Amino acid sequence: MKIISVLTKLSILVALLLLLGLLGYAVFGNKVFIKSSPVVGREASDFTLELFNGERIRLSDLRGKVVLLNFWASWCIPCRDEAPVLESSWRKYRNMPVAFIGVNVWDDKDSALVYLGQFGGGYDNGVDPKGEIAIEYGVGGVPETFFIDQYGKIVDKYTGPLTEEIIEYFLGKALSQQNGQPRSEN
Amino acid sequence: MGNPGVKTDLKMLKKRVVYITALASFILGVLTLKPLADSIDDKVREISYLLMCPVCQGQTVAESNSELATQMRTIVRKKLEEGKSKEEIIAYFVARYGETILGAPPARGANWLLWALPALALVFGGAGVALFLRKSKSEKSKEENRKISHEPQVQAESKYLEKLNQELKKFES
Repeated sequence: MKIISVLTKLSILVALLLLLGLLGYAVFGNKVFIKSSPVVGREASDFTLELFNGERIRLSDLRGKVVLLNFWASWCIPCRDEAPVLESSWRKYRNMPVAFIGVNVWDDKDSALVYLGQFGGGYDNGVDPKGEIAIEYGVGGVPETFFIDQYGKIVDKYTGPLTEEIIEYFLGKALSQQNGQPRSEN
Repeated sequence: MGNPGVKTDLKMLKKRVVYITALASFILGVLTLKPLADSIDDKVREISYLLMCPVCQGQTVAESNSELATQMRTIVRKKLEEGKSKEEIIAYFVARYGETILGAPPARGANWLLWALPALALVFGGAGVALFLRKSKSEKSKEENRKISHEPQVQAESKYLEKLNQELKKFES
């Protein structure tokens, strides 16, 4: 009788300790879990984007500039919320070594063109019909924005609609990146 | 001068050999190509089942009809055709989407608890059930023992009551 209760108590104690250990690891353990995306901190994969105006741009050609890479779709409501903000921020930064690139994904071209006509599109916007660029950057929804420094490294990723403050913060951070190399002004 | 009939036969035989060889090669080609195509489809399906669709809820890349999942399956196929292994393809997606893309978490770090806990729950749960059954069995046997020990007393009591009834009847009469 006594043995039974001791064993029961012991098993409850072990289960509790295991749960506490799991909780402790989740709270104080590997902080890698809170990282926004595994691609942050890595070199940005190069790609060629076909623009809506028929031209093509290559990411590596923009080396020396900070790049704001924004993934969007015309059916995405938060994308519509951030579109005017992106346009006004682009106007603000257009004379600085900063390039804005919009990548349209999981969309149809006609709707995307209507969207661009409605919300601006002064900066380069192109289409990723096979989703290859989106998957290469680990995009799991829209809008998602990547900030790439002048050396081609992904400094940050932001998920959700951007505000002017958010753009300013991340562009400022990307512009201040130093790799010990001279900054080339294009 | 040779026999023209034999020459014709030889010619026909050669023709037949060529036809049979061509037919055999064709059949062999079809037979070998078909399993290859199947194996790539199977591999795409196998890998897609190991990856979670990033825009879906609880669906793997194989199960989802979303555009992203379809594009991911295309990339899996493309990489297989390039000669990449299953591990390399999974590593490609993990490097972009993180370990949350995996259908089953790898058994390392805190994740090992996810693998160990069901087994531990089974062991401790089994032990608990066994102890409970043992305890209830011993209590039942004790109860039975108690019942058996009460029986002579009940018999004695009934004999006493019978005697008392007889005495009362005598007294009334």
